[in-house]
Amino acid sequence: MNLLRGLAVAGCCAALLCAQQFTFNLDHLAAKASDSVDISLNGPTLQFAAKFLDSKDPDQAKVKQLIAGLEGIYVKNFEFKSRGEWSQADLDSVRQQLRAPEWSRIVGIRSAGDGETAEIYVRNQGGKVTGVAILAAEPTELTVVNIVGAVDLDSLAALGGHFGIPELSEQKDSGKQKGTGKRAK
Amino acid sequence: MDWLDQELKLALERKEPSPDFAARVIRRAARGPSHHMQRWLAAAAAVIVMTSAGLGYRHHQGEVAKDQVMLAFKITAVKVNHIQTHVKGAVR
Repeated sequence: MNLLRGLAVAGCCAALLCAQQFTFNLDHLAAKASDSVDISLNGPTLQFAAKFLDSKDPDQAKVKQLIAGLEGIYVKNFEFKSRGEWSQADLDSVRQQLRAPEWSRIVGIRSAGDGETAEIYVRNQGGKVTGVAILAAEPTELTVVNIVGAVDLDSLAALGGHFGIPELSEQKDSGKQKGTGKRAK
Repeated sequence: MDWLDQELKLALERKEPSPDFAARVIRRAARGPSHHMQRWLAAAAAVIVMTSAGLGYRHHQGEVAKDQVMLAFKITAVKVNHIQTHVKGAVR
């Protein structure tokens, strides 16, 4: 019985890992968080949702365009009432997995004053982008995102200007790849 | 009057129905459609209700999935924009 249960759990984990490109291991934070978001959408669900997106709405049209080549999107976001609810080890367990050769960190910011860090990683396979990971941490907020599939980085960068987020004026003017093209040292 | 007229007259002669005829007609009308018909109507209604419920549930699932997709991209957009702002600030 235990063997069957173990196999079932292993099967579920394997199925999850097939879709998600790394594990978040952050479930223990949900109990401490004042607000949490946990979104796991695989490819078929994304394509199903796409049928309900309204092309006349600019935000929804942009998302519809973005999800066309995606195989999944996984988001965990925790907001805490006070500092120190999450530890650096929580983030390190995710970072450790992103040290695999197929992952490259393309942007990393660190603001010592605010205690804020944010990183974007891109997964390359055969010269093609097959995934993106975003790690963003503030003293009272932690966010991890994994977008699986052929992510259009330009479209992802151009999300600013949607969802009520003001578009960066220089991005609009330059028309170049915005920010994410710079590899962090 | 020849034999044909005689035959016709006999054939078309008014005949009174049996005394319980009206009562039998009223009873049958009150029973409504046959049991066989009722079963078909019930089955058809069940199919319509189940199909409608299925479609409604599927639509609900689609709306939930859409909301989740929009929320996922909103969170992503906020974070990407935040990073871009920092990078732009650093470049200047």
